Amino acid sequence: MGALDDMAYKPFDADAVIDALAPLLQLTISDKQRPGVRLNLKTASKMAALIEQVKLPDEAEPLPVYRP
Amino acid sequence: MSVGSSGPSAEMGASEIAQGVRSGRFKARDVVQAALKRVATHNGVLGAFTDVLSDRALAQAEIVDAKVANGIEPGPLAGVPFGVKNLFDVRGIPTRAGSKINRERPPAERDATLIERLEQSGAVLLGALNMGEYAYDFTGENVHDGASRNPHALDRMSGGSSGGSAAAVAGGLVPLSLGSDTNGSIRVPSSLCGLFGLKPTYGRLSRARTFPFVASLDHLGPFARSVRDLALAYDAMQGHDDGDPAMAKRAIEPTATRLRNPLPGARVGIAGGYFAGEGLAQQHVRKVTDALEATRVVNLPDAQAARAAAFLITMAEGAALHLDRLRTRPDDFDPEVRDRLLAGAMLPAAWIEKAQKLRRHFRAEVLKLFEDVDAIIAPATPMQAPLLGQKTAMFGGIELPIRPNMGIFSQPISFIGLPVAAVPIWLDGAELPLGVQVIAAPWREDICLRIAHQLETSGVAKAPLPRGFSET
Repeated sequence: MGALDDMAYKPFDADAVIDALAPLLQLTISDKQRPGVRLNLKTASKMAALIEQVKLPDEAEPLPVYRP
Repeated sequence: MSVGSSGPSAEMGASEIAQGVRSGRFKARDVVQAALKRVATHNGVLGAFTDVLSDRALAQAEIVDAKVANGIEPGPLAGVPFGVKNLFDVRGIPTRAGSKINRERPPAERDATLIERLEQSGAVLLGALNMGEYAYDFTGENVHDGASRNPHALDRMSGGSSGGSAAAVAGGLVPLSLGSDTNGSIRVPSSLCGLFGLKPTYGRLSRARTFPFVASLDHLGPFARSVRDLALAYDAMQGHDDGDPAMAKRAIEPTATRLRNPLPGARVGIAGGYFAGEGLAQQHVRKVTDALEATRVVNLPDAQAARAAAFLITMAEGAALHLDRLRTRPDDFDPEVRDRLLAGAMLPAAWIEKAQKLRRHFRAEVLKLFEDVDAIIAPATPMQAPLLGQKTAMFGGIELPIRPNMGIFSQPISFIGLPVAAVPIWLDGAELPLGVQVIAAPWREDICLRIAHQLETSGVAKAPLPRGFSET
């Protein structure tokens, strides 16, 4: 079944990401929000690990293709 | 079927109602009044409707009745009451999309295209329905409006994010409703509440004048208690609309008149690999595949990665949509939605680009499967309706949060925009249903609906009203 696979997850410092990107995005992450944001970043990184396991050729095009 | 002094019964489906109104056996006004009475009786418990538009509905019913009285064709859905998820624009009320923030918007000036099309077919809009905030939800819970409840077990989730749309139809308040499905928001509540639901091909039905979530994945579609009703509504809503740039310019391809057409030698595949297992969901799939005499297992390659890609695109696009509101009014969001969106704003662009490339790759791989099969069967959800407030559940032997995991089987399919009919399956003696997806190649909604109809007529799929909701 397709539940999250902890094997694919590489730990990282979510607080460092939040502290670096929140000012760039003009977001203020309160102490109340931080645990939830941290948890969701961790989930996202697990998802990213799953998609990075699929190797695609350099020529692969994204699905949306601009048609003038 | 019964027509008492209070009007047509809750059991009656859209096609029966339309037949009765068209033949003059009863009036649209009586149908609408009976539905309004059921809403008044049950909505306090179900939490399905957030806006009830009695005056508008009765006025529309009068128009339908006048057409019948004057020998004017009233439409195939004459007098059928319906509700819409409250992300559809409804003339005269703000489109709240399940949020606190959006209810401060000015009232919508014009109905969403799909509402207009249903009313042009004679249907009558009764009101707007509860949903998870900004459609980022699989539970049917809403911190602002309260939860929509599962009519089969009131202490359980209706599923989300179109929870009110499912609760209203499963509880017999209306025979028809509309919802949206970005990652499973029609199929999940259909599964949990035991309904037929249709998520058409991406680009088939107009999304004009509805509040978006993830533009590249958003679909709209109907819920009903029978396949015929689902097909009637779907047919009425088809047709190009310049108001939605994602629409494919497809001709209208009617399905309701073709439901009984046999599918000679239909080749039905069973989704294996990622979708397989020994759990409860797979027992429901087996009931369907046994009935269809399907034995061929097909593997959707990289389905788990496809689901992950849909998950990331959703986080990123959803965050981009709401970034200004996250900056200025973070405390007015549902905290669970807000924190997912805040994290979504911080995802690297490289992940999203890879996710979009994977979308093309997965699409190509799955389309190859349709050279050998006409339909693929998969579970709609990994579990039956959880308890309201429940945060975690067992997924494949691991305890995980419900919110991000309820869509594991629905997400890979909507990711590539395939049409799906969710069909409600009950195991012998079960008190709760679980839905199964009938998936077809792009633009073959007719196959989804014909197989769903076959399952319905053979008694394998059914959507009975629960005890306590069929009396009025």
